[in-house]
Amino acid sequence: MAAGTLHRSIRTIQLHGCSNDSASTMDYGSSSLKLISKGFTVDVKFLSNSSRSFSHCKTHVFHAISSHAPVIDPTLSTSHVNANINQNTSIESSLILIRHGESMWNERNLFTGSVDVPLTKRGIEEAIEAGKRISSIPVNMIYTSALIRAQMTAMLAMTQHRQKKIPIIMHDESIQAKEWTQIFSEETIQQSIPVITAWQLNERMYGKLQGLNKEETVVRYGKEKVHEWRRSFDSPPPHGESLEMCSQRAVAFFKENIELQLQNGRNIVVAAHGNSLRSIIMYLEKLTSQEVTNLELSTGVPLLYIYKHGVFLKRGSPVGPTEYGVYAYTRV
Amino acid sequence: MATARFHQALGTAQSHQHLQNSGSHHEFGNASLKLISKGFKVDFGLSIRGGYSSCMRKSGVIQASTSQTSVVQLVSYLPNNSSDELRRKPSEAALILIRHGESLWNEKNLFTGCVDVPLTKKGVEEAIEAGKRISNIPVDMIYTSALIRAQMTAMLAMTQHRRKKVPIILHNENEQAREWSRIFSEDTKKQSIPVVTAWQLNERMYGELQGLNKQETADRFGKEKVHEWRRSYDIPPPNGESLEMCAERAVAYFKDHIEPQLLSGKNVMIAAHGNSLRSIIMYLDKLTSQEVINLELSTGIPMLYIFKGGKFIRRGSPAGPTEAGVYAYTRSLALYRQRLDDMLH
Repeated sequence: MAAGTLHRSIRTIQLHGCSNDSASTMDYGSSSLKLISKGFTVDVKFLSNSSRSFSHCKTHVFHAISSHAPVIDPTLSTSHVNANINQNTSIESSLILIRHGESMWNERNLFTGSVDVPLTKRGIEEAIEAGKRISSIPVNMIYTSALIRAQMTAMLAMTQHRQKKIPIIMHDESIQAKEWTQIFSEETIQQSIPVITAWQLNERMYGKLQGLNKEETVVRYGKEKVHEWRRSFDSPPPHGESLEMCSQRAVAFFKENIELQLQNGRNIVVAAHGNSLRSIIMYLEKLTSQEVTNLELSTGVPLLYIYKHGVFLKRGSPVGPTEYGVYAYTRV
Repeated sequence: MATARFHQALGTAQSHQHLQNSGSHHEFGNASLKLISKGFKVDFGLSIRGGYSSCMRKSGVIQASTSQTSVVQLVSYLPNNSSDELRRKPSEAALILIRHGESLWNEKNLFTGCVDVPLTKKGVEEAIEAGKRISNIPVDMIYTSALIRAQMTAMLAMTQHRRKKVPIILHNENEQAREWSRIFSEDTKKQSIPVVTAWQLNERMYGELQGLNKQETADRFGKEKVHEWRRSYDIPPPNGESLEMCAERAVAYFKDHIEPQLLSGKNVMIAAHGNSLRSIIMYLDKLTSQEVINLELSTGIPMLYIFKGGKFIRRGSPAGPTEAGVYAYTRSLALYRQRLDDMLH
């Protein structure tokens, strides 16, 4: 029976394969074979989203969340995750994108980029407000950048969540960090939401403009050049990233890590920055480079997407608890 | 005159030696020469050994703090610097210790240790409240642990600070992280407060108790054993740290990195955890192991120490802005507060 189900899963993978580009079909195919031949004890998800009955995921890499029901350890190679394709094709998962609110350099009108500047009082309020808006949407995993303003936004937002599961930040910067953050209670692990921090989700690196105020920069480099760096797709500031370069690393990370989790029915929150999120939205909505440079994301207002049949459906922004609006976006 | 001050500084360093290992004196001597000849503009921690080598490391890495307007800009110590830009060396520095507030596992009564659990709404409020209490005390550098609950506490507290300098978290994990967090404006750097995150300031690692609730643990291991692990000085839980082990790494870090900053006149804030802060207080107040196990730190209530003449003078907890209480703890702090008032009105 297990074999039969597994074969069905493989077929499902191949079915999904046709809705993506051909390269990924190959990935699925080969990685599922890898799994079978290695004989790992990996939870193969037979059922739908709602019945999260994972038992064990026993690779030595897996520390804090070794038997967390709906969660896969991100340090596991992604090929393992591919085999966990559920057969029920009406599975959907939610993806929430939140751009952090006002930072202390925003307030002073300084180019921030990847400098690690914290939130202002207002940014804190925006994060809490965002949290209220998503308080009824399920969350299984959280991804943030390596910068405190995005991490704080995620943590502050989750203080408002009704679900009461607890975000736990994963640490794998060293062996000691991994050991020191181990959790020894199964129950506690099941009540946890893993939080992955990734520099690939950082704001676009602004090179020599970081720390300069907008006037200073215009004086130093000229108005047109500055406008070009800020608003073009592929023109980077000196020693910095263009939006194109930022997209490359952000979208690659999204595809290799976040999309896989969504395919497994996990509900994800991504708390990040203007440019890294625009890059991801460019991918989700298949925008052109022209369209993306005109895309402005509101700060602190969460954006909801539903992932279903390999497609991302845009669902706008969940309303705050005191506003009239759509009660829920899908049946689940 | 610059030369005389430098010698005075050396003299001070030497007089501190008897508090530290004698081995460090030698290194100190060499390092100071190195610094002068290279002419680095480095925050010169006039102190000892580890403080020094960390300053050397910091010179390449910590861009944000190279122009802290502390009196110890190395350039002013060059013997032939006749234009005397030296201000009088500050004779005291403020040290603020803040224990983070309620975390989501505190709320559930689970042993947390080094698991990276964030704050509850209440913990967030405690941090903001703590910030109000220290809003008039100068802060030049911030040290936190590697855990989000301490980092958030520091960042939330600083949103209340009247001076309006901007905390910037330093990233040292690899070359790219350093490159990517560089700041290219001198003015902006001067308005920055470097924030250093250090695992050595983490909470005591609780080993196999992490994630267990207190009842579960008493059932599994027996009430007495648990009491022993929680309250003894040197008995660690299975695969965990004893308070003694925690103290070793926390106090060593404090001596090597933080104390030199204080010696150079920098005002420092440390946002950390119950056990790492107790360990540091044990060192500051020279407590015995018996005394430290009975020491309980309130959460979210900042503790102020004045570092002066190589000694730590305990000054209690600054009052909230709406409470009647001490206006300022020393003359320098009063002057600082006055300047803030003038600046902001």
